Amino acid sequence: MRARRAAWIGGVLLAAACVERVSAPGHCPSFCPSGQIEIVDTVLRDVISRDSTFRGYVTALQSPLLLAADLPGFADSRAIVRFNGFGQRFVLSAADTGAILGADSARLQLWVARRDSGAHNLTLAFYRLPITIDSTTTFTDLTGPFADSLVKRVNIDTLLARPGHKDTITGDSVVVDTINHVLALSLKFDTAAARYVGTDSGTVAYGVRVSADSFASIGITKRPLAWQWYLRVDSAGTVDSAGTPVARKPSSLGYAFASFVFDPPPPPLDSTLAVGGVPSARSILRIAFPHFIRDSSQIIRGTLMLVPAAPARGARSDSFVVEAHTVFTDVGAKSPIILDATRTDTAVIRVGTSDTVQIEVTNLLQFWASDTTRATTLVLRAREEATSFSLIRFYPSVAPAFRPALRITFVRRFPFGQP
Amino acid sequence: MTTRIACVLAVVLAGPALTGRATAAAQDSQFGIRALGTPGRWESVRSRSTGGAFAPFDPLSPLTEAPLADVPQLTATAMESASYRDAEVSGTTSALRATRFPLLNVAGRVNRRLAVGAGFTTYLDRSWDVTLRDSALLRGVLQRYTDEVTSDGSIADLRLAAAGRLSRRIALGAGLHLLAGSTRETAERRFDDTTFHTVQQLAEVRYSGVGVSGSLLLGVAPGLSVIGWARADNRLRATVADTTSAQTDLPRMAGGGMLFSPGPSVRFGGSVAWRGWARAGAGAFDTWSWSAGAEIGSARMPFRFGVRGGQLPFGPGPTAPTEFAAAAGSGRAFAQGRALFDVGVERLERRGGGLTERVWTALVGLTVRP
Repeated sequence: MRARRAAWIGGVLLAAACVERVSAPGHCPSFCPSGQIEIVDTVLRDVISRDSTFRGYVTALQSPLLLAADLPGFADSRAIVRFNGFGQRFVLSAADTGAILGADSARLQLWVARRDSGAHNLTLAFYRLPITIDSTTTFTDLTGPFADSLVKRVNIDTLLARPGHKDTITGDSVVVDTINHVLALSLKFDTAAARYVGTDSGTVAYGVRVSADSFASIGITKRPLAWQWYLRVDSAGTVDSAGTPVARKPSSLGYAFASFVFDPPPPPLDSTLAVGGVPSARSILRIAFPHFIRDSSQIIRGTLMLVPAAPARGARSDSFVVEAHTVFTDVGAKSPIILDATRTDTAVIRVGTSDTVQIEVTNLLQFWASDTTRATTLVLRAREEATSFSLIRFYPSVAPAFRPALRITFVRRFPFGQP
Repeated sequence: MTTRIACVLAVVLAGPALTGRATAAAQDSQFGIRALGTPGRWESVRSRSTGGAFAPFDPLSPLTEAPLADVPQLTATAMESASYRDAEVSGTTSALRATRFPLLNVAGRVNRRLAVGAGFTTYLDRSWDVTLRDSALLRGVLQRYTDEVTSDGSIADLRLAAAGRLSRRIALGAGLHLLAGSTRETAERRFDDTTFHTVQQLAEVRYSGVGVSGSLLLGVAPGLSVIGWARADNRLRATVADTTSAQTDLPRMAGGGMLFSPGPSVRFGGSVAWRGWARAGAGAFDTWSWSAGAEIGSARMPFRFGVRGGQLPFGPGPTAPTEFAAAAGSGRAFAQGRALFDVGVERLERRGGGLTERVWTALVGLTVRP
């Protein structure tokens, strides 16, 4: 009896147990809500104004890459680097020093971060430069040293073709890092190429030119640049009873100065909107974001349309990414940009292209819609500024036929609460 | 024993309210999507098991007030319903399920002549979820997308009622109805091409309105009673973010019923009602509904059955959809009659505008007299 009662109660509870499944395919319009999601797509041609370009944000000295290129008609660029030495004496032991008599050799560690895989006979030529090079040094200042002070030449293709990527005669070697896509060069400079001049405190400076059958353009990573001396030091009977000079391998040195010089200098800014180049140029666009979209709609896609005033310039392999950022506050050229991946939109620019560039700026527009106190200002810049000579110029808002435009797809407010 | 009853009462009455489902609806319908919603049934499990025929005479069904006059002591009831619904349209059948707590009522005597009652029931259910696959030309390209529009919530009828016996044969009742509720509504569109961000909008829609009702119960002869009732609701105001988005006229309604008890263990009932929903706007219709049922057996464990039919107020065609239902149920008194456990089952079919809905509903109710 008790079992029957329990089964009966259990059956009732099971039948009445909480269940929920209310989703059903819509058969419209009869059995759908009267309100519909209404999408509007419009091109706003006159909302962008007060646009301008500024240059000098990242200079050659600040660039993470040293650009060496020989692109006739576009750019001749040469990397320059200086390593400070140890002075005239070297610490042999805790209590003794010895005069540095000279260097047997030196070794330069150098990473080629970017090169055109279509370039053949890619060759690096090293020139001894005055140790006075600094950020004010120009291409013209170094014309002489680059003409008559060649100390070493390395054909990278030849080196790569050797067994183990090593040249046992010159002592050069290369490691191909397929993960980071870099060539790690270790180059030996002999006594003549690496002169340790005590009166200069052992400071040396070199310039790098690049050549190839074509497309000679590389980027050398600054950070791993290192110089390793192999010194001869006068022991004077302290560490060697016979008083013969001793060999010493001190710790390797990082660069004291690294930059690049190039010719021709960047063309002056005009009314077009330039992005990229060295020193890097940025363009600032002010957008009059319509209130009816900003306040009462949901933006699902926004595209900034820019018409190039000329094909994008640069080395063939130097396609680059243009980023669109918004700013914390609009104070003109020095407007601090918001560096947030979720509020950054990008477009890839192919060198030589003259097609209209479309940058999806949905994230930015949604950000502005969510916070109406923000300045509706866009900054266009290259993703890695001053790491290539690539530059694109767009028509500004003063060119009525080709002015920048904003294409917005948005959804009007759904008519909630209406039967 | 009193402690046990108190515990049961607390669970039954407070549980649905605490879980936020107290105002959920009695039964959804696809017919209510393109309209104000699906009207609830103002019936306890006992009345529902008789097809609704006993509802005008049931003091714990908030359809009428006059029967409150016969409530002997403080009484509370609550019910739960679980519906399993097949909606068939254009050869496609969707299997839908829902659990609701559509009714809670408390009634008791103030003095020998006056009894009062309070509680809530579902006025309109607005819980649905519609998905739609379609495409649109955007930026010169046909973009495929999936829409999902949902509404979750209902409008409750909070009733304060009073009734009294004017004589042995005449009882009179009146009620004030506050309509209140809210729905959480969402509209979402997902494009196959993710370059277009997902559209996602939501709103909390609040509803309010008032109504009054009155009823008269007459004892025509020993074992034979008739009742008449009328109700008028004003407007249902929908507000979104403190802005009125819609105002809809609500119906006037009236009805009557008859209850015949030839013996202490047999009762027959019938009722009819008219509701003027056409005032609510396009796609709404005035409706008639009827029901007939019986309760046989002792009060300790009766058997109930009944049928009902009529029209639905909202539908896509030129005429109102129709519905027909058969129900049966039973009950069990325990704790020396201080608690009643009622169960019922209902089979319902609705037709109209190319849509056919078939619903099985399981009903569970608990009535407590502490």
